[in-house]
Amino acid sequence: MTYFFARRVGLGLLVVAGVVVLTFVIARVIPGDPASSWVGPHASAAQLRDARHTLGLDRPLPIQLWRFVRGVLDGDWGMSIHTHQPVLSDLATRAPASLELVTAALLLALALGILAGLVAARWRGRPLDVLVRLTSVFGVSMPSFWFALILQLVFFQTLHALPVSGEYDPALDTTHPLAVHTHAPLLDALVTANWPVLGSAVSHLILPMLVVAAYPGGVIARMVRASVLDTLGEEHVRMVRALGFHERTVFARFALKPSLNPVISVTALVFAYSLTNTFLVEAIFDWPGLGSYAADAIQSLDTPAIVGVTLFVALVYVAANLAVDLAQAVLDPRIRLR
Amino acid sequence: MTELVTSEVRLMPTSSLLRTVRANPLLGVAAALGLTLVLLALLAPVLAPHPGDAGTATHPLDTFLPPSADHLFGTDPVGRDMFTRVLYGARVSLAVSAVVISLSILIGLPVGVVAGTLGGIADTVLMRITDIFLAFPALLLALALVAVLGPSVTNATIAITITWWPWYARLARGQAASVAGRPFVVACRVLGLSPARTIIRHVLPNSLTPVIVQASADVGGVILTSAALSFLGLGAQDPTPEWGLMVNQGQAYLTTQWWLVTFPGSAILITALAFNLLGDGLRDMLDPRTRARQP
Amino acid sequence: MRLPRLASVAAGAALLAALAVRAGTAATPTQTFVYATPTQVMVGWDPATSYSNEIIAMSNVYETLTHYDPVTKRAKPALATRFSSNKEGTAWTFVLRRGVTFHTGRPLTAQAAKAAIERTMKLHQGAAYVWDSVKSISTPNASTLVFHLKYAAPLDLIAAADYAAYIYDVHAAPASKLAAWFNQGRDAGTGPFTVDFWHKGQEVELRLKAYPRYWAGWTEPHYRAIEYWVVPSVTTMAQLARAGNVTFTEQLNPQLWESFKSSTSVSTTSSPSWQNLLALLNTKSGPLADRRIRQAISYAVDYKGLIAAMTGSATRQIGVVPPGLWGHFDSLPGQYDTNPSKAKALLQAAGYGPGGKKLTLTLTNTQGVAYEELFATLLKSNLAALNVDLRIRTMAWPTQWAKAKSSDPAQRQDIFLFVWWPDYADPYSWFVNLFKTEKQPFYNLAYYSNPKLDALMRQAERSAASQRDKAVQLYKTMQSMLLHDAPVIPAFVTVYQRTLAKGVSGYVDNPAYPNVVYAYDLRPPA
Repeated sequence: MTYFFARRVGLGLLVVAGVVVLTFVIARVIPGDPASSWVGPHASAAQLRDARHTLGLDRPLPIQLWRFVRGVLDGDWGMSIHTHQPVLSDLATRAPASLELVTAALLLALALGILAGLVAARWRGRPLDVLVRLTSVFGVSMPSFWFALILQLVFFQTLHALPVSGEYDPALDTTHPLAVHTHAPLLDALVTANWPVLGSAVSHLILPMLVVAAYPGGVIARMVRASVLDTLGEEHVRMVRALGFHERTVFARFALKPSLNPVISVTALVFAYSLTNTFLVEAIFDWPGLGSYAADAIQSLDTPAIVGVTLFVALVYVAANLAVDLAQAVLDPRIRLR
Repeated sequence: MTELVTSEVRLMPTSSLLRTVRANPLLGVAAALGLTLVLLALLAPVLAPHPGDAGTATHPLDTFLPPSADHLFGTDPVGRDMFTRVLYGARVSLAVSAVVISLSILIGLPVGVVAGTLGGIADTVLMRITDIFLAFPALLLALALVAVLGPSVTNATIAITITWWPWYARLARGQAASVAGRPFVVACRVLGLSPARTIIRHVLPNSLTPVIVQASADVGGVILTSAALSFLGLGAQDPTPEWGLMVNQGQAYLTTQWWLVTFPGSAILITALAFNLLGDGLRDMLDPRTRARQP
Repeated sequence: MRLPRLASVAAGAALLAALAVRAGTAATPTQTFVYATPTQVMVGWDPATSYSNEIIAMSNVYETLTHYDPVTKRAKPALATRFSSNKEGTAWTFVLRRGVTFHTGRPLTAQAAKAAIERTMKLHQGAAYVWDSVKSISTPNASTLVFHLKYAAPLDLIAAADYAAYIYDVHAAPASKLAAWFNQGRDAGTGPFTVDFWHKGQEVELRLKAYPRYWAGWTEPHYRAIEYWVVPSVTTMAQLARAGNVTFTEQLNPQLWESFKSSTSVSTTSSPSWQNLLALLNTKSGPLADRRIRQAISYAVDYKGLIAAMTGSATRQIGVVPPGLWGHFDSLPGQYDTNPSKAKALLQAAGYGPGGKKLTLTLTNTQGVAYEELFATLLKSNLAALNVDLRIRTMAWPTQWAKAKSSDPAQRQDIFLFVWWPDYADPYSWFVNLFKTEKQPFYNLAYYSNPKLDALMRQAERSAASQRDKAVQLYKTMQSMLLHDAPVIPAFVTVYQRTLAKGVSGYVDNPAYPNVVYAYDLRPPA
């Protein structure tokens, strides 16, 4: 088992190395002069020269790659051109909010998706099955901001039940200021026992969480349904049924476990993907996450920031895959033996 | 002995096709819907009341008109007829989805199945390459492509394909790996069947299920991804009538001119629905184990 | 995993959510003015180099020597109580107000003001070029500043500039550390408000609180705090305004703005700006080097349709100087109105047009400015009818600008679309930045060179202070010259459309200070 784990870690690092080189190459392809973006419009020629030197742009390409790799390992991920802050500190400030949102959304998607998929497979062909299938199609094809705006209109404007935007109520900044440690308000409030902010953070999380959970929830429901139906046709299930096990047990113990295999793979993929693809949702809910940071970086051609975000997402992806591989090995012993 | 070895997949004779449709009316509806969409896309130049509006024509004195007899879906911020643009949009959006999904399957499926069946070094190498592509945010790749080639629907399609095929590879590989462990495949190997034949005749058809499910769900997903790209200026450009682009352009007017988002958005939803249900039906047809059984 | 366990987890989550919903939202205190803006507020904190959106906050924290009054169209006293110049306009004297203190505690003296302006000039970033006419500054006593100029210039207007004219305490930190000190979110101004907190990247990015020792005092009813909320989505911003969470919205879209006309809690304002959309035509290389084609395009634009499509958020402009600024004219000899037949004739004379060769032009515009895309789309449509293919390339500003400044003329665009507004209340800004001969292109992205125009604009700036009428006539001549040569198509002037909570009085939308709300001048609702 340890060999299995170590091997997976090694391969993961290989993937990260590949991404680093590829990212660097792509970053050099992106046009625009970072030096002039850095100093602004009215800079003199001397200031431009200084900027080029500071940003290391006057060296040959292989040296730049070497400096880049060394910097990444050292913890120097460059300076963001559109925020004028170190990219790593930008990531430390923005990533936790996204991680909080995406984790919560995926947990919800998993819970509801698996439940819905099981229900649909159990009562296949009946109205419940049709309902699940229609809802999951809506989940994967509804434009996220459309869903977001509808939720806002219904729950904020009409029902006055949930907040419209932000991570927590801004009035609490003066009455119960939040001590910032992780930049994820939910965690910070929990850790510092700031109950008003915790409650507010949870209520602000609900709508964005629903929106982000829609796509993966739909995918997972459909996948579980198809997978369970598949497994139900296999010999070991037929045998278990023949042995007289309860239908519910057949489902929960024998049909579900192998069906979770593709679900877990998909969840890891969706996790990494959602960290940056939620920029539209973040814009609408004013959620200061990685998605809007990435979108701003792309729109201002902020190469260091784009590179930083790509590396971060790649690292998360590799970590998520490690977790998935482990989980699959635990659930499906056949994989361990290969 | 021979019964255990026989492949578990057999295509159905045509007479049971009708039986399947009657047993599953949703499949019939989906197929009809899908066919209608394709027909509408093909006949758009004939059906559209103001064909010029799908091109460079503008009518600045007729902006933001609500739906009426003359403009069934209203007009957009530069006065173009939305019904015409949604019809023409079917051509663009369906084409993009078709190209991305079929190319992704063509590339990803063989890669995944080979990796899953052979295992060992082939598996490791292929999956690491797949991983590198998977770890890459689609946005960055699209940005690089667009920076070199210029923003357009074609370049966005290429960019999406490059980041889409790894999903299929991974999915296929996972499925192939567990299929490869099943008794009948092991038996194939014991009997001395060549790996190629094992893969093509036995592993491949049995790995199709999650791929088909994913492909049918992806029709909507691809359209939404190209919408995200066009939002960032990386994909379809105005005046190209692309559903995702139209939905983005209408976003700021949702509460004041609802028709700008609702019609292209519903087009995406209906298309995705049709293809999802179609995918379900196809899977039911191809995999006898999931044919309607009494529990 | 068994189903009952799943169900109980779900039930627990639902309970938690229900509790959270009741956590509720407290209302914003009524003495806080909440300003909603779509983009990040504080881009730069240093008052000497600031050149971006932070003006909306900086203008409440810092003050200038003079302030532009849009009613009288002259500079009026601010930190300076009196100001005058010699007859030639080459020496300006400012008398400072007494009893003014910086937020750092030190008093405002002539020496302190001189040090601030000299530092701004030395750094020479942002809008610091406005001080280029200054040769030296002397301080005969603690309340008097004298500027000695290299050439005559309207220093009263320059000292009222929206950027680069702030008076700040240079001794807030040691000289080499001052810029870093500012960037930590600190201020050293004299204005009515000072920084309370800065939560970079958050929805409530910045909060300012009242400075108790402000020289004008706090006896009247005033707002005691200003909060700046960054709300990227206009629909969310509209909802916040409707619910009363924000007091003021900087910019919605015309349709959302219209929807507030019927509101009982929110009022709408509409006022002219000095921000105009300009299409600079490449006079140096490519097909537009031919004046006939430039004039053809000027005739081809459907101006009426453009204004109609802007649905109230823009007005037509003749010449480059916007309405409300001195030097503007409502009509000029040689002005262009939509005339497709004239456009066709000119194109055909040049060998293009319907039936002739197909003309391909590249237009670049800035990402994120919605009405630029509108103009480009309509222009493309107008030109398509004349057998002209307009390729539109939308780019981030740094890329668009870099492309325009390429040393290889083949890389440059044919039409450069962007928005311009003056750094101080003087039409000179358009001419010196956009149309003066440049060896290396900077902002003159029509690559236009006209020595006669260069000479006239120099004359105009030197007459601006002492001989205003002469200057006005010169600007009339210069704008006519521009019309004749057609290096630019002024598309329109934007109209500011804002929403403001009902009951707030005293709001004036001053075009010299774009998007700025002087919260001190407002009276909160009773």
